[in-house]
Amino acid sequence: MTLSPLAACAGPGSAPGVGAGSGAAAGSGITLALNRSLVSLDNKLNQFDAAVTVQRGVRQALTFIDPKLTVQHVLAERFELTAPTEWTVKLRDGVRYSDGSPVTVEDVATALRMYQKVPGSFLAGLFPEWPTVTPVDAATFKLVTKHPVPTLDYLMANILITPAAANKPEELQGGVGSGPYVVTAANRGTGEYTLQVNDKYWGPAPAIKTVQVRFLPEEANRVVALRSGEVDVIDAISPDAISQLSGLGDVEVQQVPSTRITQLFYNFRKPAGHPLADPRVREALSYAINGPALIKDVFADSVSPARGVVADTLTGAVQTGEYVYDPQKAKQMLDAAGVKDLKIKIIWETGEFANDTSVMEAVVEMLKAVGVQAELQQFQPGGDISKWRQGRGGDWDVLGNGYPGPTGLALTPLQGMFAGTKEKEATRDTYQGYVFPKIAALLEKASQETDKAVRESVLATAQKEIWNTWPCMWAFVPKTVIARRKRVENVLLSPTNSYELASVRLNG
Amino acid sequence: MTATTVGPADGSGSRDTAASPGRPSAVTAKDLARSAAVRRRKSARLKIWVGSVGVALVVLPVALANLLPIPGPDEQSLSLRRLPPLTGGHLFGTDQLGRDLLSRVLHGGQVSLTVGVLAIIVSGVIGLIAGAAAGFFGGWVDTVVSRLLEAQLSLPLLLMLLLVVALFGPSIPVITFVIAFAQWPEVARLTRSLVLVEREKPYVAAARVLGLHRVTTLLRHVLPNVVKQASLVILLLLAQAVLLESALSYLGAGPQRPFATWGRIIADGQDYITTSWWLVTLPGLVIVLLVVGVNLLGDGLRDRARRRKGPQTEGKVSRA
Repeated sequence: MTLSPLAACAGPGSAPGVGAGSGAAAGSGITLALNRSLVSLDNKLNQFDAAVTVQRGVRQALTFIDPKLTVQHVLAERFELTAPTEWTVKLRDGVRYSDGSPVTVEDVATALRMYQKVPGSFLAGLFPEWPTVTPVDAATFKLVTKHPVPTLDYLMANILITPAAANKPEELQGGVGSGPYVVTAANRGTGEYTLQVNDKYWGPAPAIKTVQVRFLPEEANRVVALRSGEVDVIDAISPDAISQLSGLGDVEVQQVPSTRITQLFYNFRKPAGHPLADPRVREALSYAINGPALIKDVFADSVSPARGVVADTLTGAVQTGEYVYDPQKAKQMLDAAGVKDLKIKIIWETGEFANDTSVMEAVVEMLKAVGVQAELQQFQPGGDISKWRQGRGGDWDVLGNGYPGPTGLALTPLQGMFAGTKEKEATRDTYQGYVFPKIAALLEKASQETDKAVRESVLATAQKEIWNTWPCMWAFVPKTVIARRKRVENVLLSPTNSYELASVRLNG
Repeated sequence: MTATTVGPADGSGSRDTAASPGRPSAVTAKDLARSAAVRRRKSARLKIWVGSVGVALVVLPVALANLLPIPGPDEQSLSLRRLPPLTGGHLFGTDQLGRDLLSRVLHGGQVSLTVGVLAIIVSGVIGLIAGAAAGFFGGWVDTVVSRLLEAQLSLPLLLMLLLVVALFGPSIPVITFVIAFAQWPEVARLTRSLVLVEREKPYVAAARVLGLHRVTTLLRHVLPNVVKQASLVILLLLAQAVLLESALSYLGAGPQRPFATWGRIIADGQDYITTSWWLVTLPGLVIVLLVVGVNLLGDGLRDRARRRKGPQTEGKVSRA
């Protein structure tokens, strides 16, 4: 394999000990069991955290967010802010796809167009504006924006590059990528994929030759499969499963602080006059939730209480307040707001977070204690919750949902959740109808501010303003947890709940 | 040989022969006690008793759950989660949210049994009507009903139920209806075959000669003669209906939370199977007790009905 010196120390594959000669168990494979179905190996619509690991095994971006939440260059050799509204990018020498064709500037331009065109794009909410590609030479181009986007290098870590001719404004089910693995078998229906090492990979060869991906939605099944050695790595583990697995000699549980925040988020599409359109009512309901008990007894202290509107592990996050349990105050505030016999509907998708059903059933009883009747509606994975979230499926009041921090920056989830505008709401592209022009303006200002200190100051103000609107009934920050068999080594788990497949090794 | 004069094989007349002091017989009371007919009768009686006890052990507490001195099914105490059975006043222990498991099982049984009973009533009525019409009228009615039966029996049952629940949403009426829909073929098939036999009997011809309308003949004279046997099958379907409801709940297609149903209690408990065995085992045992009880009771009643079928049928013919 011909590698430039720089390629050998590029982001993915740059993990210590990983290299062409480090294949301790060459010819061996591992099996990953995911709690959600990996419906594609592309992230245009489907970027739940654990999927990122597999998706990036096949397709790569210009940059990569490492476990320390800093930007590493992958397909880009150089990614620099050369003017307030202009980034200059140079593609790494020798980067190529699994079919041997080189990664080109046109591929990047096409990828950006496709991510913009896809309806309901997850990433659309993260980008304050989409950059345009201006080629400079065969390997160099400029990413130009109308307004400054000083965090574009972080954001571009989410844009996976595919050959221009094969890219479409939809989720790609297979095809060619530049990652260390190629897809040799895929079954979208069952969520099962087989990845084989990419013989033409431009970086250091992965140690693991074959990666099987399976979808095991039931935690008990994942735990039993791991214990029996049927699978090697499982994700989304509840505290009870952690306690079951912790004492086993051949299994190791790995935890890191997460960039994700899990919320009971209000529906902001309620008409004026509806109780939930009143921030006093939203605040009152938050006092009904016994967060400390949920964290201690249901989560066994494996999550931490949210003290802000995004995970405090993110760069730029500030503490804005705490969720306090005070049912008496909740009743008083509801009475003061003239709300009696309130009925609400809580919706969520199974597996959205660990112990989801226990939390929801506990919340129903907590709300009942303050005179609020809550109805639960649980959606199975693959169901039409997305239609409901857009207000097109049915009416609901509170959504149980997790929001990731895929760039490691607080700005990204803040932008994605709270920068909604009337224009975005017209196409239902806001986060549960959250539209506050003042907050959107602050976030826009922060997203365009090139001075880091000023940016973080504006961001802090925005977060306090958001907190004062009481967007959540309750929120917590989970830990990123995986369990693996001890023969699987060097899993560099990131707070974004992903790891580089190319770094993983087998012992024995 | 005198032994050949002993009554019918079902044993219904054997007592007279052996017990009559004036008629000599080589068959002793001991022989009779060991006969297959008597064994079957005893077996039927035993099945009825054991089945009744099993069903009563489950159904009575379930029916009286609201009156028993136990906590509410949703009353939670997070600090008392997963207490083992017989701890802290909880006979079955507590679940993952500190709720009394016995209360959850009993109130869950109310949902499961209500769905099961409603489902078999609906499926019984549909099956009786469709099967009786097919058997009695024959012709195109029989063809349509029989083809529908065959079509439905060829479908994978659970997958079809999951599909319907996915389409119409997991509410109690929908689940009741889909289970009823799933079960009507068995009742209809049996009713059709019973009616086919009945319609050839002289009392039906007599009714026709007397000028009774065919529908009247069917409703007033034929159906009463088959409804008892058909209702035993319907009783047996109760166990299947409860199992189907539990299976749907287990697979996440049951009524929405926080309704406790047996399938959901087991599904929720399976995450803790290695640390809290009672969360799965005890609700599972309750289901087993009910299903085995219903099956034994149904079997026993069917066996008894078979023995009495002859004389009863004659009686109804004479009334006709």
